[in-house]
Order: sequence, then C-alpha cells, then structure tokens
Amino acid sequence: MRHGHWVLITTLSGLLLITPARADDELRQALAVIKALKKEGRGNEDAGPAWKTVVSKGSAALLPTLEAFDDTNPIASNWLRPAIDVIVNAERSVGRKLPADQLEAFATNTKFAPSARRLAYELLIAQDPDAKARLLPGFLNDKSPDLRRDAIANELAILDKSAKPSIRADLEKLFAASRDQDQVELIAQKLKAHGVTVSVPEHFGFITQFALIGPFDGPEGKGLTTVHPPEMAKAATGQFKGKDNAEIKWITATTTDRYGTFDLNKLLGKHKNAVAYALAVVVAEKETPCEIRATSITSVKIFLNQKEIFARDEYHHGDPLDAHIGKGLLKKGENVIVLKVCQNDQKEPWAQDWKFKLRVCDDTGGPISGLTQLPPNGGPPIKLGYIPPGSETHEEEKK
Amino acid sequence: MKHKFLTIAFTLVLAANGTAADWTQFKGPNATGVSPEKNLPTEWSKEQGIKWKATLPSRGVSSPVVAGNRIYITCSSGTRDDRLHVLCFDAPTGKQLWHRQLQATGGTSCHPKSCMAANTPVADESGVYALFATGDLVAFDADGTLRWYRSLVGDYPTITNQVGMASSPILVGDRLIVPMDNSGESFIAAIDIKYGKNIWKTDRPQVINWTTPLVRKTDNTIEVLFAGPTGLTAYDAANGKQRWNFREGRGSIPTGVLEGDSLYLPVGGVSKFKLTNQGLIEKPEWSAATLRPGMPSPLVYAGKVFTADGDGIIACADARNGKLLYKERTKGAYSASPIGADGKVYFLNESGVCTVLDAKADTLEVLATNDLGDETLGTPAISDGVIFIRTSKALYAIGK
Repeated sequence: MRHGHWVLITTLSGLLLITPARADDELRQALAVIKALKKEGRGNEDAGPAWKTVVSKGSAALLPTLEAFDDTNPIASNWLRPAIDVIVNAERSVGRKLPADQLEAFATNTKFAPSARRLAYELLIAQDPDAKARLLPGFLNDKSPDLRRDAIANELAILDKSAKPSIRADLEKLFAASRDQDQVELIAQKLKAHGVTVSVPEHFGFITQFALIGPFDGPEGKGLTTVHPPEMAKAATGQFKGKDNAEIKWITATTTDRYGTFDLNKLLGKHKNAVAYALAVVVAEKETPCEIRATSITSVKIFLNQKEIFARDEYHHGDPLDAHIGKGLLKKGENVIVLKVCQNDQKEPWAQDWKFKLRVCDDTGGPISGLTQLPPNGGPPIKLGYIPPGSETHEEEKK
Repeated sequence: MKHKFLTIAFTLVLAANGTAADWTQFKGPNATGVSPEKNLPTEWSKEQGIKWKATLPSRGVSSPVVAGNRIYITCSSGTRDDRLHVLCFDAPTGKQLWHRQLQATGGTSCHPKSCMAANTPVADESGVYALFATGDLVAFDADGTLRWYRSLVGDYPTITNQVGMASSPILVGDRLIVPMDNSGESFIAAIDIKYGKNIWKTDRPQVINWTTPLVRKTDNTIEVLFAGPTGLTAYDAANGKQRWNFREGRGSIPTGVLEGDSLYLPVGGVSKFKLTNQGLIEKPEWSAATLRPGMPSPLVYAGKVFTADGDGIIACADARNGKLLYKERTKGAYSASPIGADGKVYFLNESGVCTVLDAKADTLEVLATNDLGDETLGTPAISDGVIFIRTSKALYAIGK
C-alpha cells in the first residue's frame, strides 16, 4: 500500500515539476549572482543585495531558491539557506501555509540537490506531520544521508511494532540501504536475532588484504610531502631503500577485523618519522565513480591509478570512520589503490597509534556492485570486505 | 593612512565594546570576564530566580553574546553535527527574534566534549559574526539579514583540526579578526565586516590551538595579541605584520587576561607580565605555579587571580604578587571560564552547577551553589543585571 502511494507521489512530483515555479527575471538574476560566488568572498558585494532581492520576493522565491541549491557549490547553498529561513518565517508569521504540494513534489524529485530536498521535506512535515509516514518509505535509498537515515529509522520502528512474516527480508532490505555505522550494526544485530548473518565488512567494502611496504623515511613535518616510489606503483613489486637505508620489500597482510583495521606497529614495527604504503588492486566490471574512504589517526594520502585524490596532514587528533575521503573514477578492469600512511615522532603514550582502515564505496557510502579485489598473494578475486567465515574479530572491542 | 586607521579603529574598538550593558564577545566587552554591573543574582535554581528560559534547537559550547538588547547564540545539530545555527533573542523578554541555519562545509570531527558550535560569536550594534569549528564564517545584521558568508575550508582546503576548533573571532574597528590555527593552512586574518573579504591574512604555524586573540593599543599601533604554539605574537591590526613575539608566552587552550599594561598569561601556572609600547618585558613580575588554569581562562578580578580546572579545583591568588590565597576542590569539572561582577565570582561547572564566591574574601567563601541540572560548557554572559547561561538545551536569563 505504501509502495503504491509512493509511486503515485513520484508521478505527481514529476508532473508538478515539469513546469517549475516561474521565477521572475529579477529573482533569476539574483539567484545567478549568488550561484556565481567565488572563493575568499569574491562576489560578496553583489551577493548581499541579491540576497535581499531573493527574500523580498517572499513565497514566490521559495521553490526557485530551493531549486538553486547545488551541493557541489556549498558557498552558494549557504547563502541560500538563510534566505529560505527568512521567507518561511515571513509566511508563517502572517499565518500563511507553505505550498505543500510543491514542497512534496520537490522533496521527492531526485534531480534536485539532496540538501535542498531534505530542507523541503522538513518544511513540509513541520506543516503536515502526516507527510512523514507518507514520504519516508520512498527515501530508503536516498542520496540525502539524513533522509535515508530517517527512512531507515522509520521502517525499523514499524518493524519493531509488527510481527510481519517478511521481517527477515525486510531487515535485509534495510541493511542493504543503511549507511550509518550505528544503523548498520543495529540491523545486523536484529538480523542475527532472526538467524540471519550478514557481513558488515562486506557491506562497507573494506579492503581486507593489502600489500604493505615500509618504513620509508618521513622527516619531521615532511613525511606526507616526501615522495617515495610506491606512490606511483602499478603493482606490489620491487624492493627499495627504506628508513636508515634498510632494504625493504613488499609484504602481504590480511585483517580479520570487522572494520578492516591494519595495525602498522604490529605489521611493520614501531617507527618514528616513518612512511608506509598499502597497495590493493580492485577490479571493476565497468567504469564507476567511487569514493575511497580511509580512517587513520595520522597523515594520509590516497592514490588511485597513480593519481593523488586526497591528502590530509594531521597527526593524533582523532580517527573517526571515513575521516579521509578521496573521490575518483574506477576504470573497467584493474585499479591500483595506494594509501600512504605517515607517522611522526610524538612521544606521548596517546600518540603511538599507526594504523588504518580503507574502503571503497559509492558517494552514499554504500557498496558498489561488481567490485572485487585481487588478493595480493594471488588466487581468485574476493569480495571487498571478505573475511573467512568464523574468523571475524573486532579490534575496537579489544581496547 | 595608518594613522587614520588607528584613530578610526580604536574609536570603533571602543564602540564595538558597546554600552555597559553589552557583552559582545568571548569573556565580555573587554575580554576580561569582568562586568561593571551591580545587583546581580546570587542564588537561583531551575525553578527560581529565572527571568526567562528559551529552548535551544541543539547543543553548543560557545558563549552567548549580547549587543543592543539582542542575545546571539550558536548551536550545532544533526547526526553528523553538520547543521549550524545562529539564533537571536530579545534580551529583555527571551523572545526568539530569528534563527538562521547553515550546512557545514568543513570536517565535523571533534572531541566528544566539544561540537561545531564551539567558537563564541562576536557582536556589535549592527549584528553578529559567527565562526564555527567547521570553518564556516557568517555575518548577520541585527535583524537577521545575511550580510555575508565565507567557507574558510572552501577557501583554504587543508584546514583541519579533528579535535575541534574553538578559537573565537574578535572585532577591531571595522575588522573581524579571525584566528585559524590548525593542522593545515593556519593563519590569522582581518576580514572586513561589510563584505567579508580579507584585508590581510598572515601565516601561522600549522598546529592546533584554541586561544582567542586579545587587542591592545600602544602609542601608535593597535596590536592583536595571539598566543599559540610558537609563543605570544603581536600583530599590527592595520596590516597583519608581526611586531614582536614572546616565545615563553605559548598558549593552547586558555586565553590570557589584559588589564591595562598588565598581561596575565596561563604559562607556568599563571604569570603576570608588563607591557610597554615596544612589547613585553619578558621577565614576569611573578609566576604562580600553583594556579592551574585547565580549559577555563583565568580571571583577574577584585585584586585577585582566579583559576578553575578539569578536576574541580578552584584556586585564588593575590594579583599583586601571585601569592596563593586558597585552593580547594569543588564538585565537578570546569570548562567555562569564571566571570566576575558585583563583588562575586561565578564558577560554572560542566553539569550546570554554578558556585558563587565572595570575590573580596581571602578564603573560599561560597555564597551560593546553584544547579540548573544540565550540561554547561560555555562561559556565561552578563548584561543589564542578568546572567545568561546556555545549557545544552536552553538559554537561561537569570535575574529580575
């Protein structure tokens, strides 16, 4: 029933938005000025008056302003966001309702920026709380992380109150849709209680087998910028002069950690002012945009097919999951991913970790279908996140 | 040209400090944590002594600021702590005047005690300037009109501090001084308050730091004093050029106190230095190692220096010589800086308990212990006979 309703909403949405609200020229020009803003405040002189023009248009500017959001242009979106606040407050202060149909059509039309769609959804449910139950089921696989999260939470709440025979299949569907670590773990637990085992590392797409090499020299303050040959490696071959002129060569390492942790202190030994590289070969069935997400408490660079796609030079300040995100394009066939992980020479007991996690996913943080990894020791391709059955461990729980 | 800037700027510095009733920036109009107001409340609870209480949309560890009868406050929310809020309330009534939101453009990782609304905004009669730990920087007019917005991480993409940034911006005339010490591109910058563009931007060491700059006037210069990993550095507010650096004045979390030509720095416990037109006399007048400012900045008030730390230790020394008067453990840890007014010192701990001390007493004289029963990490503000305390859920106006 809900699915049928959703189809209807989506169809109506399309119809409504075929003819988007017609912005007058002044409004269109004002929005264009804001969308043209550049770095370091370039364009701010014009954007201020343009912003006032947008809000002066009142409710007529609501939809055009939402449409002007562009998540690849966060500067403009953050100029537009407070304009929405002003327009909406002005409408509410005189007791006028927002155009619910248009907001619903906007929120469900995935051609618009996820952040703007989320905002439209919030404006709608503030006015029409029933819209929540109506719309959330359609957001299970949404690009907006917040819409997706709320949709999953909503479905979980429904499942908790029901004893549906399809609960396993429903939970498996939610597991596939989930992206946030807490929801992934919660659903995995619920599935386990129903006798279904799912793989969290496979869901996240962690690389569980790497070729490693190190330590190379990472002079104080320059570890990340000091270039060593593995950065441009096409394969885990060759041996090199490492730290203190020692001969070093590639080794292979496998993790059974549920979150794909590789502890370099254990694998390569404890070193200071040092650099290590981890290399994995990922095979894509077709050309695919991807995100390569690393977790490390020390400085990292991410390379995809010999091209640097991310760098962050920061040591021992925290290692939240996915702190480092490189965006790239996987080519069809074999792709070489290299992660550079540095260590500095801090002496404090809390500044000794030298470890990493790395996963390959889509831009929502979800698995990419048809992706496999070539094990560094040879053998047939494995799924990303593969850990032999029964051997999974949880490093975080050991702390 | 420089002389003109100096004259205008210092006039505006004074103007930015606002009326006696205003509390415009971190630790108040003079950045000392001291208010000249009288007849301030001593006792209150969740139910009593509250003038008004306004619900906040979410958490924040920044302080409220007050200018022109308007209270500005920042919050952050969301599963990823990536929604940034600036709110304005009418000070006499607590009525919410406006609420604006932004989407974080920088990283949102931080220590669990902090959040993205950690930097205290700064206000003047014309509006408010809010910097978030995400590097998002925004100016709103007093009526909520967006004046300008900058994504500093968009401008300088290597900015990063996964412990969470908290240094607060300050106003010097028509310039917003933005401290941005972090592990990536670090700088202190003067940004014009009209359009949000850089007037100057001076490189800083790439090390995280949470202190807030101070400002002082010499005979011919307005100096911005900024303590960081390489010492206390004085910058010319006109052009951002370094004037002098005092290596032993290194800072990381608490901010010093400037009182006339005396500078109390949280180094070696707390140390008192003399400033001259040329810089700082490097030999301290005294150092009190027994004073241990933790995260809270020290307070200099009523001829005494007060400190509080994460273990609940309150210490007090004679400001003339650094001699310890008392040092006692109280309940709970402190993050908020103590503030002084009306002969009292207000120590707000992290769980909403405010211990009010008699500032004149040479021993620990507790006048009252007041519990709001909620997390309180931001430093309170004082304005027009009222103490403003932000908890994780609400903004309280305490007084009549």
